[in-house]
Amino acid sequence: MFHTPKTKVRPATKMAELIDANPHLLLMLQHFNIDFRVNDLTVWQLCIRQGISENLFVSIANLYNGFDIRGPQPFTRGDLLLVIDFLKSSHDFYRREKYPQISSYIRQLQENHPVREMKLLEKFFKEYFDEVLEHLDYEDSTAFPYFISLLEGGENDRLGKRYSSKVYGDHHTDIELKLQDLKNLLLMYVDIEGDLELRRKLLFALYELEFDLYIHSLIEEKILIPSGQRIEKEVNV
Amino acid sequence: MYSPRLHIAIMEPSRIIFEGLQTIICHSSLDCRVSRVERLEELTEMMEHTPVEILIANPMQFVNLEKEVKKLRKSYPTLAIAGIDFGIIHRQSILTDISFTLYDTPEHIIHSLTRLQEKSQHPEEEKEENNHLSPREIEVLTCLVNGMLNKEIADHLHISVHTVVRHRKNITQKTGIRSQSGLTIYAISKKIIHLEDMEI
Repeated sequence: MFHTPKTKVRPATKMAELIDANPHLLLMLQHFNIDFRVNDLTVWQLCIRQGISENLFVSIANLYNGFDIRGPQPFTRGDLLLVIDFLKSSHDFYRREKYPQISSYIRQLQENHPVREMKLLEKFFKEYFDEVLEHLDYEDSTAFPYFISLLEGGENDRLGKRYSSKVYGDHHTDIELKLQDLKNLLLMYVDIEGDLELRRKLLFALYELEFDLYIHSLIEEKILIPSGQRIEKEVNV
Repeated sequence: MYSPRLHIAIMEPSRIIFEGLQTIICHSSLDCRVSRVERLEELTEMMEHTPVEILIANPMQFVNLEKEVKKLRKSYPTLAIAGIDFGIIHRQSILTDISFTLYDTPEHIIHSLTRLQEKSQHPEEEKEENNHLSPREIEVLTCLVNGMLNKEIADHLHISVHTVVRHRKNITQKTGIRSQSGLTIYAISKKIIHLEDMEI
């Protein structure tokens, strides 16, 4: 998978410099609903302006830059509600932008090269997309409402005690695996020639999606699930 | 400035053992430099800016950190790990590539490390030689894309389910494709199966 050059994000670093080193951070800003005009603000100043905790912002930005979160972090309930908004916004990005875009590239490629492998590839992508949609729907309709209710301290009548961060963790699947298959098929096996522009656009879109999905799962695994488990313990004491 | 190509990190809390190993390594023909790390986290941090080829570790320091070690190996596939065998853990730890005891001769230890270094420098070669599927793997692949389950493949080819699983693992490793539908497209591209036999 694509790896960014590693620049450690620190509160005193200028946001514009960070974006320059890793443009994927623009997607992170978008998921946080932060405008790209960051002037010459440092991370710390930007967090104050946006009302986002510095700890959360730096942790997520560092995930984008290839640094893991070490040890349990003291994320607050407010932070975690922001994380849910962040994840919902990325769902939106997959559903409304990335998948339709990739889908249309594959369609076009299939029309230009009506070989049977391309037909199968299109079918492969469609099946994969359906699986992803199912997963996103599950998170939107089951997992996120559970977390929101847990974080807001409300009673969880609908799901009761049956649902927990652990159940969510077990259900949590690696949706990027098939994406890797698709990439490898296009790079190594599917026998079409020419159309470089379209194929490059398709591959770039796949890489962009793969990277964002990867960070998406990291945020769930490293932030949401452990913090959820911590809060569940507090509530049950 | 000259800097040796081989970087060995030693993760061992005992200073006596660390310095002993360091002396043996420095007096050997290995062209390397040696660093000491206290904990796995420290090693991970170090590897973010300086490559480490060989880690010599007291396997007791891996206890409860199995997941982290596996992750480290995944991020740095060329890292080789040598375990110090204290005779406490009899089974060769799955986390280490080789192990030696404190009573082994310096020659023996250096020999093991040299072999490990060679392996760490040429991990790709072995892989490349075998990039093509074996006839048996092609048979398994054909069954797979025809929708057969592991048990059915085993019966059909008169092999055990365990062997089928091993073949499948090798197929995925060699082709880079994991899913059944992905493998179908692979098999068609490579003309292992013909589309006329399949329904789209």
